[in-house]
Amino acid sequence: MATVEEPRTFIRPDGKEKVTGTGRYTADLVLAGELVAKFRYTDHTHARITRIDASKARALPGVLAVVTHEDVPDVLYGGMVQDRRLFAKDTVRFEGDIVAGVAATTAEIAEHAAALIEIDYEPLPVVTDFEAALADDATLVHPDWEAYEGEESLGRHHNTLGYSTIVKGDVDAALAGADVVVKGRYVTDPVSGVPIEPRAVIAQWQGDKVTVWTSTQVPYAARGGVAHVLQIPESQVRVVVPLLGGGFGAKCDFHFEGHVAALARAARRPVKLVFSRREEFFAVGHRREGMVIEFETGARADGTLVARKARLVLDKGAYCGEGGFFAQMAAMHAHGPYNLENVHIESSLVYSNNQPSSSIRAPTAPQVCWALEQHMDELAAALDLDPVELRRRTAIETGSVTATGQVLEQIAMKETLEKAVEMIGYGQELPEDEAIGVAIGWWPCFASSSGAYVKLNHDGTGTIITGAQENGTGSVMAMPTYVAAELGMKPEDFSLLYQDTDAAPNDMGSCGSQTTFNSGRAVIAAAVDLREQLLDAAADKLEAGRGDLVLADGAVSVQGSPDKSVTIAELASSGAFHGKSLDVPPDGPAAPAEGCVGRLGLESFHAPQLIAHAVRVRVDRGTGVVRVLQVAAAHDCGKILNRIGADGQVYGGVVMGIGQALSEGTQLDENGRHRNAHLTDYKLVTASDAPHIDIAWIETDTPNAGPKGSKGVGEPPCVPTAGAVANAIAKVIGARVHQLPMTPERVWEAGT
Amino acid sequence: MKVETTLTVNGTAYPLELDPGTNLLSAVRDVIGLTGSKEGCDDSECGACMMLLDGQPVNACSYLALQAEGSEITTVEGLADGDTLAPLQAAFLDLGGVQCGFCTPGMLVSATALLDANPQPTEDEVRIGLSGNLCRCTGYDGIVKAVLSVSGQ
Repeated sequence: MATVEEPRTFIRPDGKEKVTGTGRYTADLVLAGELVAKFRYTDHTHARITRIDASKARALPGVLAVVTHEDVPDVLYGGMVQDRRLFAKDTVRFEGDIVAGVAATTAEIAEHAAALIEIDYEPLPVVTDFEAALADDATLVHPDWEAYEGEESLGRHHNTLGYSTIVKGDVDAALAGADVVVKGRYVTDPVSGVPIEPRAVIAQWQGDKVTVWTSTQVPYAARGGVAHVLQIPESQVRVVVPLLGGGFGAKCDFHFEGHVAALARAARRPVKLVFSRREEFFAVGHRREGMVIEFETGARADGTLVARKARLVLDKGAYCGEGGFFAQMAAMHAHGPYNLENVHIESSLVYSNNQPSSSIRAPTAPQVCWALEQHMDELAAALDLDPVELRRRTAIETGSVTATGQVLEQIAMKETLEKAVEMIGYGQELPEDEAIGVAIGWWPCFASSSGAYVKLNHDGTGTIITGAQENGTGSVMAMPTYVAAELGMKPEDFSLLYQDTDAAPNDMGSCGSQTTFNSGRAVIAAAVDLREQLLDAAADKLEAGRGDLVLADGAVSVQGSPDKSVTIAELASSGAFHGKSLDVPPDGPAAPAEGCVGRLGLESFHAPQLIAHAVRVRVDRGTGVVRVLQVAAAHDCGKILNRIGADGQVYGGVVMGIGQALSEGTQLDENGRHRNAHLTDYKLVTASDAPHIDIAWIETDTPNAGPKGSKGVGEPPCVPTAGAVANAIAKVIGARVHQLPMTPERVWEAGT
Repeated sequence: MKVETTLTVNGTAYPLELDPGTNLLSAVRDVIGLTGSKEGCDDSECGACMMLLDGQPVNACSYLALQAEGSEITTVEGLADGDTLAPLQAAFLDLGGVQCGFCTPGMLVSATALLDANPQPTEDEVRIGLSGNLCRCTGYDGIVKAVLSVSGQ
């Protein structure tokens, strides 16, 4: 175990185009003859459609296409449950449901035409209270739920899209025998991903093949989605992602590529869609879900956690998308990085007529962790123990066994806790309006197959071809450094061909903090394949044994005979060298999870990442305004391959976590419509709000980790931040804030 | 009805015909074809469209193009000296001030204006000076360090 100290220099290959303004994002592209796309969204958040008449829109000069459900194949789609149509047919279920799309010569004409479409509705009762939607007699958001195709293990029933439990021992008996029992109920508002780039899509047909340029984090899922909804082969769909202006999960999943492709086909012209900021808030099928979280924990006087009972209800909104795993993911975060003797956690993911929730950076974790870490501090108070001391006594460590039966190998949970506490100066004397709060959390890696090619050009430079998607983190940008290290070359010798589904093998995309874990592993494997080819060729050329060859500084030489050498450029000029990966993802650890239901594989956390954050806040008791002054973030993300990139994830993730803690929350009206779908009332953290952040990496050698012992980095930094802020606030005001975000009003109310 | 005008962007004069309602961002991006400046919100909240008008930063999404006639307009494309990056651009790359890059053009323009007005800002002055530019990736750390490093701190 080691602590990483010094930053290493890293200039991202896409950096120059980004600082000079010459880089191209999707909305920057212009195709000859392109039309503007606008959508006609539903007028009701839950209603039956009885009539759609687009004749006036079609007759408007400048309109080249109007597309409704009648113009596309009659199919349902969805990542884990197929419950959605491209264009609403008989029912609309949330504010952003699209009834029609228009392609016209100008934005003004397209907007006018969309408004001219006549739609008659029979309004239905609107399901906005997702906890009430659990009742058997609640209005069904999807009356046809049983007919939908979907993942079998979800445990779907009525409005319940997913149901998952973690069960161990006899929790009620253990609670009855506990020295101390603490209960708590916590509620969280939904949150948006808010990439600064609103999404954009351009589609152009050439014959039977469509090319879609789109701001997606998951180009292969987008390709599959277009092929499915238009019922054409994937070979006829090419998805290209220009520079991507951030995602944070909001650009995961197949979204609007199908609508634009359908419009471009109907108009026989290229069509471009660019979202307004308002659409980026309300129309996307990705936001962080609202939750109701109830905990009851029993402990012995020494802090031992003898029982944890939890009930979680998650607002899935109108459609499943790829987020069907949230019930189990939330349950694992209700377990948290603690040793628990008896457990009963039940977690329900529920349909409503609210905007669909789906992956946003570490889905479900920040909310559940915020609640659990407050609950743990309340338990510490009831036990008359220091909160850090309670965590020292109860947090997982190497050799711990989770309630699902996973044996945890080589983890540094307690080490990150001690480091965060040390960095913040825990226990120091502070002014009476300041306090330090601490929280810990965990997050898994996601192993999946990936593929890559590395080819050499005749001049000895090379190109890396990867299916990986760069969303800004630098994960793809760092790949030349890995390849160069395997080949004894320089990173700048390599160009990258990426974000093009016709170029590289299938890839999961930029999600789950897994780009380095999977795509990085594939790229390194391809480089190793290429290295073997080079060594074979050099052995022939130099008439030397393979075992005597050294690959370094752009040449292969014979060990001990520096004059016997051939440059890589010389080798490359005479052959067509290309390495490819035969990629096998590492196996995840086993977890028997006896008695647990809704098992989707998350009952074990593959190569878990451990996080401890300590924050110092100042609270103005008179106004409830909270300022985060200092953050100490200690992470076990395995071996750090690119310090400047990894640090960047923590700086950004912590600041996002502070936004979730204090200011970011979507306000919905009684019909589930956004009331603050703009940046004036949905407040992101600015440079002047952001605190000083100290970062420490505790490097461990976790089995089954990613390349060179790395684990994920991107999502963990926003997991425990809100919990640490909450615990600091509570210390100052002497009361708990039970709703997220902890706005000045809520803090002021709790403290008075 | 279109109006004839000339806009001078990064030292080049562009004769144009614009609808009077065209905003400066749209004129520069869609008509002139310099797409470095970005549209992130269309209501002056995110700062991705920031340009300099005679050295003063403005949110170009909320500024009429015709009002910019006669002014020297500077966009991110005008910051480098030919192929040589401005020190601020280089510092953004060296110090982790760039991730997805979508806020970067506006951020660089605001930081240029900040340093022109105050060549030796304190960290607090940098943070306040950049608070009209939203970044979702970096937590602002690399950006603030970059601005301070250029000012010799």
